[in-house]
Amino acid sequence: MIPLSHAHERWILRILIAVFVFFLLAPVVWMISTSFKPPEEIFRTSPSLIPDAPTWRNYLRAFTETDILKYLGNGLIVSSLNAGLTTVLAALAAYGFAKFRFRGRKGLMLLMISAQMFPYAVLLISIYPMFQWSGLFDTRTGLVLAYLVFALPASIYILFSYMVNLPDELIEAARMDGAGEGLILRELILPLVIPGLITVFLYSFMWSWNDLLYSLTLITSEDKRTIGPGLLLTFLGEMEQDWGAAMAGSVIVSLPVVLVFSLLQRFFIQGLTAGAVK
Amino acid sequence: MASHPQNPVRTGPVGGHPRRPAAPAHVRRQSRFGLSIVLPALILFVALLLVPFLRSLGFAFFESTLFSPEPKFVGLENFRDLFSDRVFLETWLRTLFYVGITTGVTVVLGFAWALVLNQAFTGRKVIRTATILPWILPSTVTAFLWAWIFNGQFGLLNAVLDAAGAIGAPVVWLSTPTGAMFAVILAKVWLSTPVAMSFLLAGLQSVSSEEIDAAMMDGCRAGNIIRHVILPHIFPTLVIVFVLQAMANFQQIDTILAMTRGGPARTTTVLSIEVYQKAFNEWDMGHASAIGVVWFLTLAVPTVVYLRAIFKRF
Repeated sequence: MIPLSHAHERWILRILIAVFVFFLLAPVVWMISTSFKPPEEIFRTSPSLIPDAPTWRNYLRAFTETDILKYLGNGLIVSSLNAGLTTVLAALAAYGFAKFRFRGRKGLMLLMISAQMFPYAVLLISIYPMFQWSGLFDTRTGLVLAYLVFALPASIYILFSYMVNLPDELIEAARMDGAGEGLILRELILPLVIPGLITVFLYSFMWSWNDLLYSLTLITSEDKRTIGPGLLLTFLGEMEQDWGAAMAGSVIVSLPVVLVFSLLQRFFIQGLTAGAVK
Repeated sequence: MASHPQNPVRTGPVGGHPRRPAAPAHVRRQSRFGLSIVLPALILFVALLLVPFLRSLGFAFFESTLFSPEPKFVGLENFRDLFSDRVFLETWLRTLFYVGITTGVTVVLGFAWALVLNQAFTGRKVIRTATILPWILPSTVTAFLWAWIFNGQFGLLNAVLDAAGAIGAPVVWLSTPTGAMFAVILAKVWLSTPVAMSFLLAGLQSVSSEEIDAAMMDGCRAGNIIRHVILPHIFPTLVIVFVLQAMANFQQIDTILAMTRGGPARTTTVLSIEVYQKAFNEWDMGHASAIGVVWFLTLAVPTVVYLRAIFKRF
Protein backbone atom coordinates (compact mmCIF):
# COMPACT_ATOMS: atom_id res chain seq x y z
CA MET A 1 0.00 0.00 0.00
CA ILE A 2 1.21 3.45 -0.86
CA PRO A 3 0.28 6.19 1.62
CA LEU A 4 -1.42 8.95 -0.38
CA SER A 5 -0.63 12.31 1.16
CA HIS A 6 -1.97 14.57 -1.54
CA ALA A 7 -5.62 15.26 -2.18
CA HIS A 8 -5.23 14.92 -5.92
CA GLU A 9 -3.63 11.49 -5.52
CA ARG A 10 -6.67 10.37 -3.58
CA TRP A 11 -8.86 11.71 -6.36
CA ILE A 12 -6.92 9.77 -8.98
CA LEU A 13 -7.45 6.65 -6.88
CA ARG A 14 -11.21 7.24 -6.69
CA ILE A 15 -11.44 7.83 -10.42
CA LEU A 16 -9.45 4.68 -11.15
CA ILE A 17 -11.72 2.63 -8.90
CA ALA A 18 -14.77 3.98 -10.71
CA VAL A 19 -13.30 3.36 -14.17
CA PHE A 20 -12.26 -0.21 -13.41
CA VAL A 21 -15.50 -1.13 -11.70
CA PHE A 22 -17.39 0.27 -14.67
CA PHE A 23 -15.22 -1.54 -17.22
CA LEU A 24 -15.37 -4.90 -15.44
CA LEU A 25 -18.96 -4.91 -14.25
CA ALA A 26 -21.01 -2.78 -16.65
CA PRO A 27 -21.11 -5.56 -19.29
CA VAL A 28 -22.43 -8.01 -16.70
CA VAL A 29 -25.02 -5.52 -15.46
CA TRP A 30 -26.03 -4.99 -19.05
CA MET A 31 -26.44 -8.73 -19.57
CA ILE A 32 -28.68 -8.99 -16.50
CA SER A 33 -30.64 -5.88 -17.46
CA THR A 34 -31.26 -7.15 -20.99
CA SER A 35 -32.36 -10.53 -19.67
CA PHE A 36 -35.28 -8.85 -17.88
CA LYS A 37 -36.44 -6.69 -20.80
CA PRO A 38 -39.40 -7.32 -23.05
CA PRO A 39 -38.57 -7.30 -26.80
CA GLU A 40 -39.80 -3.76 -27.42
CA GLU A 41 -37.29 -2.48 -24.86
CA ILE A 42 -34.43 -4.62 -26.15
CA PHE A 43 -34.83 -3.50 -29.74
CA ARG A 44 -34.65 0.19 -29.11
CA THR A 45 -31.83 2.41 -30.28
CA SER A 46 -31.65 4.38 -27.02
CA PRO A 47 -31.95 1.63 -24.42
CA SER A 48 -32.36 2.22 -20.70
CA LEU A 49 -30.26 0.59 -18.00
CA ILE A 50 -33.20 -0.36 -15.77
CA PRO A 51 -36.00 -2.14 -17.64
CA ASP A 52 -39.18 -0.04 -17.69
CA ALA A 53 -41.37 -3.13 -17.48
CA PRO A 54 -39.19 -5.97 -16.15
CA THR A 55 -40.33 -9.44 -17.14
CA TRP A 56 -39.43 -13.09 -16.49
CA ARG A 57 -40.50 -14.05 -19.99
CA ASN A 58 -36.96 -14.41 -21.32
CA TYR A 59 -36.12 -16.84 -18.52
CA LEU A 60 -39.31 -18.77 -19.08
CA ARG A 61 -38.53 -19.02 -22.78
CA ALA A 62 -34.93 -20.05 -22.10
CA PHE A 63 -36.21 -22.89 -19.92
CA THR A 64 -39.14 -23.98 -22.07
CA GLU A 65 -38.10 -23.28 -25.64
CA THR A 66 -34.47 -24.37 -25.41
CA ASP A 67 -32.77 -27.46 -24.00
CA ILE A 68 -30.83 -25.42 -21.50
CA LEU A 69 -31.72 -27.72 -18.59
CA LYS A 70 -30.30 -30.66 -20.48
CA TYR A 71 -27.13 -28.70 -21.26
CA LEU A 72 -26.83 -27.72 -17.61
CA GLY A 73 -27.24 -31.32 -16.50
CA ASN A 74 -24.64 -32.58 -18.97
CA GLY A 75 -22.27 -29.78 -18.06
CA LEU A 76 -22.64 -30.52 -14.38
CA ILE A 77 -21.97 -34.25 -14.83
CA VAL A 78 -19.01 -33.82 -17.14
CA SER A 79 -17.42 -30.95 -15.22
CA SER A 80 -17.74 -32.53 -11.77
CA LEU A 81 -16.40 -35.86 -12.94
CA ASN A 82 -13.53 -34.18 -14.72
CA ALA A 83 -12.73 -31.97 -11.72
CA GLY A 84 -12.78 -34.97 -9.38
CA LEU A 85 -10.57 -37.01 -11.69
CA THR A 86 -8.13 -34.15 -12.23
CA THR A 87 -7.85 -33.52 -8.50
CA VAL A 88 -7.15 -37.16 -7.65
CA LEU A 89 -4.63 -37.65 -10.45
CA ALA A 90 -2.87 -34.35 -9.76
CA ALA A 91 -2.70 -34.92 -5.99
CA LEU A 92 -1.11 -38.34 -6.42
CA ALA A 93 1.33 -37.19 -9.06
CA ALA A 94 2.26 -33.99 -7.23
CA TYR A 95 3.02 -35.92 -4.02
CA GLY A 96 5.12 -38.38 -5.97
CA PHE A 97 7.08 -35.60 -7.64
CA ALA A 98 7.46 -33.50 -4.50
CA LYS A 99 8.51 -36.06 -1.91
CA PHE A 100 10.04 -39.06 -3.64
CA ARG A 101 13.23 -39.54 -5.58
CA PHE A 102 13.09 -41.83 -8.56
CA ARG A 103 14.82 -41.91 -11.88
CA GLY A 104 13.40 -39.55 -14.49
CA ARG A 105 11.46 -37.56 -11.91
CA LYS A 106 12.65 -34.16 -13.00
CA GLY A 107 12.32 -34.87 -16.71
CA LEU A 108 8.81 -36.24 -16.33
CA MET A 109 7.67 -33.29 -14.27
CA LEU A 110 9.15 -30.87 -16.78
CA LEU A 111 7.49 -32.67 -19.66
CA MET A 112 4.09 -32.68 -17.97
CA ILE A 113 4.24 -29.00 -17.06
CA SER A 114 5.46 -27.94 -20.48
CA ALA A 115 2.37 -29.61 -21.93
CA GLN A 116 0.56 -26.38 -21.09
CA MET A 117 1.89 -25.06 -24.37
CA PHE A 118 0.58 -27.86 -26.55
CA PRO A 119 -2.03 -26.00 -28.61
CA TYR A 120 -5.46 -27.41 -27.74
CA ALA A 121 -6.72 -27.27 -31.32
CA VAL A 122 -3.65 -29.21 -32.46
CA LEU A 123 -4.25 -31.93 -29.87
CA LEU A 124 -7.83 -32.13 -31.02
CA ILE A 125 -6.68 -33.11 -34.53
CA SER A 126 -5.41 -36.41 -33.09
CA ILE A 127 -7.86 -36.83 -30.23
CA TYR A 128 -10.75 -36.75 -32.71
CA PRO A 129 -9.75 -39.87 -34.70
CA MET A 130 -8.49 -41.59 -31.52
CA PHE A 131 -11.89 -41.15 -29.94
CA GLN A 132 -13.60 -42.46 -33.06
CA TRP A 133 -11.57 -45.68 -33.00
CA SER A 134 -11.98 -46.23 -29.30
CA GLY A 135 -15.68 -45.49 -29.12
CA LEU A 136 -15.18 -42.47 -26.89
CA PHE A 137 -16.39 -40.11 -29.58
CA ASP A 138 -19.73 -38.49 -28.79
CA THR A 139 -19.74 -39.82 -25.23
CA ARG A 140 -19.68 -37.92 -21.96
CA THR A 141 -16.94 -40.26 -20.72
CA GLY A 142 -14.80 -39.17 -23.65
CA LEU A 143 -15.37 -35.52 -22.84
CA VAL A 144 -14.47 -36.08 -19.17
CA LEU A 145 -11.18 -37.60 -20.29
CA ALA A 146 -10.48 -35.03 -23.01
CA TYR A 147 -10.85 -32.20 -20.50
CA LEU A 148 -7.80 -33.54 -18.65
CA VAL A 149 -5.90 -31.79 -21.42
CA PHE A 150 -6.84 -28.37 -20.06
CA ALA A 151 -6.23 -28.55 -16.35
CA LEU A 152 -4.09 -31.57 -15.50
CA PRO A 153 -0.64 -30.05 -16.20
CA ALA A 154 -1.30 -26.83 -14.28
CA SER A 155 -3.01 -28.76 -11.46
CA ILE A 156 0.02 -30.95 -10.93
CA TYR A 157 2.17 -27.86 -10.70
CA ILE A 158 -0.18 -26.10 -8.27
CA LEU A 159 -0.32 -29.07 -5.89
CA PHE A 160 3.40 -29.63 -6.30
CA SER A 161 4.00 -26.11 -4.95
CA TYR A 162 1.90 -26.97 -1.91
CA MET A 163 3.47 -30.33 -1.19
CA VAL A 164 7.09 -29.45 -1.75
CA ASN A 165 6.82 -27.00 1.15
CA LEU A 166 5.68 -29.63 3.65
CA PRO A 167 8.59 -30.54 5.93
CA ASP A 168 10.21 -33.90 5.15
CA GLU A 169 10.61 -34.47 8.89
CA LEU A 170 6.85 -34.82 9.21
CA ILE A 171 6.72 -37.71 6.75
CA GLU A 172 9.85 -39.22 8.22
CA ALA A 173 8.35 -39.14 11.71
CA ALA A 174 5.21 -40.89 10.50
CA ARG A 175 7.36 -43.57 8.88
CA MET A 176 9.24 -44.06 12.14
CA ASP A 177 5.91 -44.65 13.78
CA GLY A 178 5.35 -47.41 11.28
CA ALA A 179 2.75 -45.75 9.07
CA GLY A 180 2.58 -47.07 5.52
CA GLU A 181 3.03 -44.75 2.56
CA GLY A 182 -0.62 -44.88 1.55
CA LEU A 183 -1.74 -44.06 5.07
CA ILE A 184 0.69 -41.13 5.29
CA LEU A 185 -0.68 -39.69 2.08
CA ARG A 186 -4.30 -40.13 3.09
CA GLU A 187 -4.19 -39.18 6.74
CA LEU A 188 -1.33 -36.72 6.90
CA ILE A 189 -0.55 -35.08 3.57
CA LEU A 190 -3.96 -34.60 1.96
CA PRO A 191 -5.55 -32.89 4.99
CA LEU A 192 -2.66 -30.42 4.99
CA VAL A 193 -3.19 -29.36 1.39
CA ILE A 194 -6.99 -29.06 1.36
CA PRO A 195 -6.85 -25.45 0.10
CA GLY A 196 -4.73 -26.69 -2.79
CA LEU A 197 -7.17 -29.49 -3.52
CA ILE A 198 -10.06 -27.02 -3.56
CA THR A 199 -8.12 -24.75 -5.90
CA VAL A 200 -7.41 -27.54 -8.33
CA PHE A 201 -10.97 -28.84 -8.21
CA LEU A 202 -12.39 -25.38 -8.97
CA TYR A 203 -9.77 -24.65 -11.59
CA SER A 204 -10.51 -27.80 -13.56
CA PHE A 205 -14.26 -27.42 -13.00
CA MET A 206 -14.10 -23.92 -14.50
CA TRP A 207 -12.11 -25.10 -17.48
CA SER A 208 -14.57 -27.81 -18.38
CA TRP A 209 -17.65 -25.75 -17.55
CA ASN A 210 -16.41 -22.92 -19.74
CA ASP A 211 -15.11 -24.93 -22.67
CA LEU A 212 -16.56 -24.50 -26.11
CA LEU A 213 -14.05 -26.01 -28.55
CA TYR A 214 -13.77 -29.61 -27.34
CA SER A 215 -17.41 -30.07 -26.57
CA LEU A 216 -18.40 -28.58 -29.93
CA THR A 217 -16.10 -31.00 -31.76
CA LEU A 218 -16.27 -34.21 -29.74
CA ILE A 219 -20.01 -34.26 -29.03
CA THR A 220 -22.44 -34.51 -31.90
CA SER A 221 -25.71 -35.73 -30.34
CA GLU A 222 -27.98 -33.01 -29.08
CA ASP A 223 -28.82 -34.80 -25.88
CA LYS A 224 -25.18 -34.96 -24.76
CA ARG A 225 -24.35 -31.34 -25.47
CA THR A 226 -22.86 -29.20 -22.72
CA ILE A 227 -23.55 -25.52 -22.14
CA GLY A 228 -20.97 -23.88 -24.44
CA PRO A 229 -22.04 -25.42 -27.74
CA GLY A 230 -25.58 -25.72 -26.41
CA LEU A 231 -25.91 -21.96 -26.06
CA LEU A 232 -24.01 -21.22 -29.23
CA LEU A 233 -25.96 -23.54 -31.48
CA THR A 234 -29.28 -22.48 -29.99
CA PHE A 235 -28.78 -18.76 -30.29
CA LEU A 236 -26.90 -18.76 -33.56
CA GLY A 237 -29.44 -21.17 -34.93
CA GLU A 238 -33.17 -21.21 -34.49
CA MET A 239 -33.25 -18.36 -31.97
CA GLU A 240 -30.82 -16.02 -33.68
CA GLN A 241 -31.19 -12.38 -32.70
CA ASP A 242 -33.31 -13.33 -29.69
CA TRP A 243 -31.06 -11.34 -27.39
CA GLY A 244 -33.46 -11.40 -24.45
CA ALA A 245 -33.47 -15.19 -24.25
CA ALA A 246 -29.74 -15.34 -25.08
CA MET A 247 -28.92 -13.09 -22.14
CA ALA A 248 -31.29 -14.98 -19.84
CA GLY A 249 -29.65 -18.24 -20.91
CA SER A 250 -26.23 -16.69 -20.29
CA VAL A 251 -27.21 -15.68 -16.78
CA ILE A 252 -28.57 -19.15 -16.06
CA VAL A 253 -25.45 -21.02 -17.16
CA SER A 254 -23.19 -18.55 -15.34
CA LEU A 255 -24.91 -18.98 -11.99
CA PRO A 256 -23.44 -22.39 -11.03
CA VAL A 257 -19.82 -21.27 -11.42
CA VAL A 258 -20.51 -17.93 -9.81
CA LEU A 259 -22.10 -19.64 -6.79
CA VAL A 260 -19.35 -22.19 -6.30
CA PHE A 261 -16.72 -19.57 -6.87
CA SER A 262 -18.12 -17.05 -4.40
CA LEU A 263 -18.09 -19.73 -1.70
CA LEU A 264 -14.51 -20.80 -2.32
CA GLN A 265 -12.84 -17.81 -3.93
CA ARG A 266 -10.43 -17.07 -1.09
CA PHE A 267 -8.76 -20.48 -1.34
CA PHE A 268 -8.89 -20.36 -5.07
CA ILE A 269 -7.04 -17.10 -5.67
CA GLN A 270 -4.44 -17.91 -3.03
CA GLY A 271 -3.85 -21.36 -4.36
CA LEU A 272 -3.58 -20.27 -7.95
CA THR A 273 -1.25 -17.35 -7.39
CA ALA A 274 0.97 -18.95 -4.76
CA GLY A 275 3.10 -20.83 -7.27
CA ALA A 276 3.80 -17.82 -9.42
CA VAL A 277 4.81 -15.23 -6.83
CA LYS A 278 6.66 -17.18 -4.19
CA MET B 1 11.53 -21.00 -0.96
CA ALA B 2 13.55 -23.97 0.20
CA SER B 3 13.24 -26.90 -2.10
CA HIS B 4 15.80 -29.64 -1.80
CA PRO B 5 17.15 -30.48 -5.19
CA GLN B 6 20.15 -32.40 -3.94
CA ASN B 7 18.74 -33.65 -0.70
CA PRO B 8 18.90 -37.42 -1.01
CA VAL B 9 16.30 -39.63 0.55
CA ARG B 10 17.46 -40.27 4.08
CA THR B 11 19.47 -43.40 4.16
CA GLY B 12 20.77 -43.45 7.70
CA PRO B 13 19.11 -46.08 9.80
CA VAL B 14 18.17 -45.29 13.38
CA GLY B 15 21.57 -46.21 14.74
CA GLY B 16 23.26 -43.74 12.45
CA HIS B 17 25.71 -46.13 10.80
CA PRO B 18 26.98 -44.70 7.54
CA ARG B 19 25.73 -46.88 4.72
CA ARG B 20 26.17 -46.80 0.97
CA PRO B 21 23.19 -44.81 -0.36
CA ALA B 22 22.65 -47.13 -3.29
CA ALA B 23 20.00 -49.59 -2.27
CA PRO B 24 18.55 -49.94 1.19
CA ALA B 25 15.34 -51.85 0.75
CA HIS B 26 13.09 -49.22 2.29
CA VAL B 27 14.49 -46.53 0.01
CA ARG B 28 13.76 -48.61 -3.04
CA ARG B 29 10.31 -49.32 -1.71
CA GLN B 30 9.72 -45.61 -1.27
CA SER B 31 10.91 -44.79 -4.78
CA ARG B 32 8.64 -47.46 -6.14
CA PHE B 33 5.71 -45.99 -4.25
CA GLY B 34 6.56 -42.50 -5.53
CA LEU B 35 6.66 -43.71 -9.10
CA SER B 36 3.48 -45.75 -8.72
CA ILE B 37 1.40 -42.77 -7.59
CA VAL B 38 2.73 -40.69 -10.48
CA LEU B 39 1.77 -43.46 -12.88
CA PRO B 40 -2.01 -42.88 -13.29
CA ALA B 41 -1.51 -39.22 -14.22
CA LEU B 42 1.41 -40.21 -16.41
CA ILE B 43 -0.55 -42.81 -18.36
CA LEU B 44 -3.41 -40.43 -19.09
CA PHE B 45 -0.94 -37.68 -19.87
CA VAL B 46 0.78 -39.87 -22.43
CA ALA B 47 -2.52 -41.03 -23.94
CA LEU B 48 -4.26 -37.67 -24.11
CA LEU B 49 -1.49 -35.12 -24.44
CA LEU B 50 1.85 -36.54 -25.47
CA VAL B 51 0.78 -39.10 -28.08
CA PRO B 52 -1.86 -36.83 -29.67
CA PHE B 53 0.63 -33.99 -29.73
CA LEU B 54 3.35 -36.02 -31.43
CA ARG B 55 0.86 -37.61 -33.79
CA SER B 56 -0.47 -34.20 -34.80
CA LEU B 57 3.07 -32.99 -35.41
CA GLY B 58 3.63 -36.09 -37.52
CA PHE B 59 0.49 -35.37 -39.58
CA ALA B 60 2.21 -32.20 -40.77
CA PHE B 61 4.38 -34.30 -43.08
CA PHE B 62 1.48 -36.14 -44.65
CA GLU B 63 -1.22 -35.31 -47.09
CA SER B 64 -4.46 -36.20 -45.43
CA THR B 65 -7.69 -34.66 -46.59
CA LEU B 66 -11.31 -35.63 -46.92
CA PHE B 67 -10.63 -36.68 -50.51
CA SER B 68 -7.49 -38.66 -49.75
CA PRO B 69 -8.14 -40.02 -46.27
CA GLU B 70 -5.28 -42.52 -46.52
CA PRO B 71 -2.33 -40.38 -45.31
CA LYS B 72 0.44 -40.03 -47.90
CA PHE B 73 3.94 -38.91 -46.90
CA VAL B 74 4.79 -35.63 -48.61
CA GLY B 75 7.81 -34.43 -46.61
CA LEU B 76 7.96 -30.70 -46.18
CA GLU B 77 5.44 -29.92 -48.87
CA ASN B 78 2.76 -28.70 -46.45
CA PHE B 79 5.23 -26.24 -44.97
CA ARG B 80 6.29 -25.07 -48.43
CA ASP B 81 2.64 -24.42 -49.19
CA LEU B 82 2.24 -22.40 -46.01
CA PHE B 83 5.26 -20.21 -46.41
CA SER B 84 4.46 -19.40 -50.01
CA ASP B 85 0.91 -18.51 -49.05
CA ARG B 86 0.39 -14.84 -48.33
CA VAL B 87 -2.88 -15.57 -46.57
CA PHE B 88 -1.09 -17.78 -44.06
CA LEU B 89 1.67 -15.27 -43.42
CA GLU B 90 -0.98 -12.64 -42.79
CA THR B 91 -2.69 -14.96 -40.33
CA TRP B 92 0.60 -15.51 -38.55
CA LEU B 93 1.29 -11.78 -38.29
CA ARG B 94 -2.31 -11.14 -37.23
CA THR B 95 -1.87 -13.67 -34.43
CA LEU B 96 1.26 -11.89 -33.21
CA PHE B 97 -0.65 -8.62 -33.31
CA TYR B 98 -3.63 -10.06 -31.45
CA VAL B 99 -1.47 -11.76 -28.82
CA GLY B 100 0.86 -8.78 -28.42
CA ILE B 101 -1.85 -6.15 -28.01
CA THR B 102 -4.13 -8.30 -25.88
CA THR B 103 -1.33 -9.43 -23.58
CA GLY B 104 0.23 -5.98 -23.27
CA VAL B 105 -3.04 -4.23 -22.48
CA THR B 106 -4.12 -6.98 -20.06
CA VAL B 107 -0.89 -6.81 -18.09
CA VAL B 108 -0.93 -3.00 -17.92
CA LEU B 109 -4.58 -2.89 -16.82
CA GLY B 110 -4.10 -5.81 -14.44
CA PHE B 111 -1.13 -4.06 -12.84
CA ALA B 112 -2.96 -0.75 -12.50
CA TRP B 113 -5.98 -2.50 -11.02
CA ALA B 114 -3.78 -4.47 -8.61
CA LEU B 115 -2.12 -1.24 -7.45
CA VAL B 116 -5.56 0.28 -6.84
CA LEU B 117 -6.82 -2.79 -4.95
CA ASN B 118 -3.69 -2.81 -2.83
CA GLN B 119 -4.76 0.53 -1.33
CA ALA B 120 -7.09 0.71 1.66
CA PHE B 121 -10.57 2.01 0.87
CA THR B 122 -14.13 1.21 1.90
CA GLY B 123 -15.68 -1.62 -0.02
CA ARG B 124 -12.32 -2.87 -1.22
CA LYS B 125 -13.00 -6.52 -0.46
CA VAL B 126 -16.43 -6.55 -2.05
CA ILE B 127 -15.15 -4.78 -5.14
CA ARG B 128 -12.21 -7.14 -5.45
CA THR B 129 -14.44 -10.20 -5.26
CA ALA B 130 -17.15 -8.84 -7.56
CA THR B 131 -14.76 -7.72 -10.27
CA ILE B 132 -13.35 -11.26 -10.58
CA LEU B 133 -16.59 -12.06 -12.39
CA PRO B 134 -15.39 -11.63 -16.01
CA TRP B 135 -12.81 -14.35 -15.38
CA ILE B 136 -15.26 -17.02 -14.30
CA LEU B 137 -18.04 -16.54 -16.84
CA PRO B 138 -18.20 -19.27 -19.50
CA SER B 139 -16.48 -18.17 -22.70
CA THR B 140 -19.67 -18.51 -24.73
CA VAL B 141 -21.38 -16.13 -22.32
CA THR B 142 -18.53 -13.65 -22.65
CA ALA B 143 -18.79 -13.85 -26.40
CA PHE B 144 -22.57 -13.31 -26.36
CA LEU B 145 -22.22 -10.43 -23.96
CA TRP B 146 -19.74 -8.56 -26.09
CA ALA B 147 -21.46 -9.43 -29.36
CA TRP B 148 -24.61 -7.89 -27.87
CA ILE B 149 -22.78 -4.76 -26.71
CA PHE B 150 -21.14 -4.42 -30.14
CA ASN B 151 -24.41 -5.16 -31.94
CA GLY B 152 -24.77 -2.87 -34.93
CA GLN B 153 -28.43 -2.00 -34.52
CA PHE B 154 -29.31 -2.08 -30.84
CA GLY B 155 -25.92 -2.44 -29.15
CA LEU B 156 -25.02 -0.53 -26.03
CA LEU B 157 -21.81 0.80 -27.51
CA ASN B 158 -23.53 2.51 -30.43
CA ALA B 159 -26.18 3.93 -28.08
CA VAL B 160 -23.52 5.41 -25.78
CA LEU B 161 -21.41 6.77 -28.63
CA ASP B 162 -24.49 8.18 -30.30
CA ALA B 163 -25.63 9.86 -27.09
CA ALA B 164 -22.18 11.37 -26.73
CA GLY B 165 -22.39 12.62 -30.29
CA ALA B 166 -19.31 10.65 -31.30
CA ILE B 167 -20.89 8.85 -34.24
CA GLY B 168 -23.40 10.06 -36.79
CA ALA B 169 -24.75 6.67 -37.83
CA PRO B 170 -24.65 3.31 -36.05
CA VAL B 171 -21.47 1.32 -36.67
CA VAL B 172 -21.83 -2.36 -37.51
CA TRP B 173 -18.73 -3.21 -35.48
CA LEU B 174 -18.49 -6.94 -36.00
CA SER B 175 -18.83 -6.60 -39.77
CA THR B 176 -15.89 -4.25 -40.20
CA PRO B 177 -12.34 -5.63 -40.04
CA THR B 178 -11.07 -3.10 -37.50
CA GLY B 179 -14.24 -3.16 -35.44
CA ALA B 180 -14.27 -6.95 -35.25
CA MET B 181 -10.61 -7.12 -34.23
CA PHE B 182 -11.19 -4.41 -31.64
CA ALA B 183 -14.17 -6.32 -30.24
CA VAL B 184 -12.39 -9.67 -29.89
CA ILE B 185 -9.36 -7.99 -28.30
CA LEU B 186 -11.55 -6.06 -25.87
CA ALA B 187 -13.51 -9.19 -24.90
CA LYS B 188 -10.31 -11.07 -24.13
CA VAL B 189 -8.74 -8.16 -22.25
CA TRP B 190 -11.92 -7.87 -20.22
CA LEU B 191 -11.98 -11.50 -19.23
CA SER B 192 -8.23 -11.63 -18.43
CA THR B 193 -7.73 -8.41 -16.50
CA PRO B 194 -8.99 -9.98 -13.24
CA VAL B 195 -6.61 -12.91 -13.73
CA ALA B 196 -3.59 -10.66 -14.17
CA MET B 197 -4.78 -8.52 -11.26
CA SER B 198 -5.01 -11.53 -8.93
CA PHE B 199 -1.46 -12.64 -9.61
CA LEU B 200 -0.03 -9.14 -9.39
CA LEU B 201 -1.95 -8.29 -6.22
CA ALA B 202 -0.50 -11.40 -4.58
CA GLY B 203 2.92 -10.16 -5.64
CA LEU B 204 2.28 -6.63 -4.39
CA GLN B 205 1.36 -7.88 -0.96
CA SER B 206 4.93 -8.99 -0.44
CA VAL B 207 6.41 -5.52 -1.04
CA SER B 208 7.79 -4.37 2.30
CA SER B 209 6.08 -1.34 3.77
CA GLU B 210 9.37 -0.23 5.36
CA GLU B 211 10.85 0.38 1.94
CA ILE B 212 7.84 2.41 0.92
CA ASP B 213 7.92 4.38 4.17
CA ALA B 214 11.62 5.08 3.69
CA ALA B 215 10.94 6.37 0.18
CA MET B 216 8.14 8.54 1.56
CA MET B 217 10.56 10.00 4.09
CA ASP B 218 12.86 10.89 1.23
CA GLY B 219 9.99 12.86 -0.23
CA CYS B 220 8.96 10.45 -2.98
CA ARG B 221 5.46 10.79 -4.42
CA ALA B 222 3.21 7.89 -5.35
CA GLY B 223 4.44 7.82 -8.96
CA ASN B 224 8.08 7.60 -7.90
CA ILE B 225 7.37 4.92 -5.35
CA ILE B 226 5.73 2.81 -8.02
CA ARG B 227 8.66 3.33 -10.35
CA HIS B 228 11.55 2.94 -7.92
CA VAL B 229 10.29 0.66 -5.17
CA ILE B 230 7.36 -1.40 -6.42
CA LEU B 231 8.27 -2.00 -10.05
CA PRO B 232 11.70 -3.52 -9.39
CA HIS B 233 10.18 -5.73 -6.73
CA ILE B 234 7.25 -6.94 -8.82
CA PHE B 235 9.15 -7.28 -12.08
CA PRO B 236 9.63 -11.08 -11.95
CA THR B 237 5.91 -11.54 -11.31
CA LEU B 238 5.12 -9.19 -14.19
CA VAL B 239 7.23 -11.34 -16.49
CA ILE B 240 5.50 -14.54 -15.37
CA VAL B 241 2.05 -12.99 -15.76
CA PHE B 242 2.99 -11.69 -19.20
CA VAL B 243 4.18 -15.12 -20.33
CA LEU B 244 1.16 -16.93 -18.87
CA GLN B 245 -1.14 -14.45 -20.58
CA ALA B 246 0.73 -14.68 -23.87
CA MET B 247 0.39 -18.47 -23.74
CA ALA B 248 -3.31 -18.21 -22.98
CA ASN B 249 -3.87 -15.68 -25.76
CA PHE B 250 -2.08 -17.88 -28.27
CA GLN B 251 -4.47 -20.63 -27.25
CA GLN B 252 -7.54 -18.41 -27.27
CA ILE B 253 -10.22 -19.64 -29.58
CA ASP B 254 -13.61 -19.86 -27.85
CA THR B 255 -14.52 -16.18 -27.66
CA ILE B 256 -13.39 -15.48 -31.22
CA LEU B 257 -15.15 -18.54 -32.58
CA ALA B 258 -18.40 -17.53 -30.91
CA MET B 259 -18.16 -13.80 -31.67
CA THR B 260 -16.96 -13.66 -35.26
CA ARG B 261 -16.03 -17.20 -36.38
CA GLY B 262 -12.81 -15.62 -37.62
CA GLY B 263 -14.59 -13.18 -39.91
CA PRO B 264 -15.46 -10.87 -41.50
CA ALA B 265 -13.33 -12.05 -44.44
CA ARG B 266 -10.78 -13.78 -42.15
CA THR B 267 -9.85 -10.53 -40.40
CA THR B 268 -10.10 -12.10 -36.93
CA THR B 269 -8.73 -15.47 -38.00
CA VAL B 270 -5.78 -16.20 -35.74
CA LEU B 271 -3.76 -19.42 -35.81
CA SER B 272 -6.02 -21.26 -33.36
CA ILE B 273 -9.07 -20.51 -35.51
CA GLU B 274 -7.14 -21.37 -38.67
CA VAL B 275 -6.13 -24.81 -37.36
CA TYR B 276 -9.70 -25.48 -36.25
CA GLN B 277 -11.23 -24.43 -39.59
CA LYS B 278 -8.66 -26.31 -41.67
CA ALA B 279 -9.08 -29.45 -39.60
CA PHE B 280 -12.78 -29.54 -38.84
CA ASN B 281 -14.37 -27.55 -41.65
CA GLU B 282 -12.10 -28.43 -44.55
CA TRP B 283 -10.89 -31.75 -43.06
CA ASP B 284 -7.40 -30.98 -44.35
CA MET B 285 -5.45 -32.53 -41.49
CA GLY B 286 -2.04 -32.22 -43.17
CA HIS B 287 -2.13 -28.47 -43.54
CA ALA B 288 -3.91 -28.01 -40.22
CA SER B 289 -1.08 -29.88 -38.51
CA ALA B 290 1.61 -27.95 -40.37
CA ILE B 291 0.01 -24.73 -39.16
CA GLY B 292 -0.05 -26.29 -35.70
CA VAL B 293 3.70 -26.88 -35.85
CA VAL B 294 4.37 -23.25 -36.76
CA TRP B 295 1.92 -22.18 -34.06
CA PHE B 296 3.59 -24.39 -31.47
CA LEU B 297 7.06 -23.10 -32.30
CA THR B 298 5.83 -19.51 -32.01
CA LEU B 299 4.33 -20.35 -28.64
CA ALA B 300 7.30 -22.37 -27.41
CA VAL B 301 9.67 -19.41 -27.19
CA PRO B 302 7.82 -17.54 -24.41
CA THR B 303 7.00 -20.80 -22.67
CA VAL B 304 10.63 -21.82 -22.41
CA VAL B 305 11.36 -18.47 -20.78
CA TYR B 306 8.57 -19.16 -18.31
CA LEU B 307 9.64 -22.68 -17.55
CA ARG B 308 13.22 -21.62 -16.92
CA ALA B 309 11.92 -19.05 -14.47
CA ILE B 310 9.80 -21.48 -12.48
CA PHE B 311 12.31 -24.29 -12.64
CA LYS B 312 14.97 -22.29 -10.90
CA ARG B 313 13.01 -23.29 -7.82
CA PHE B 314 12.53 -26.94 -8.55
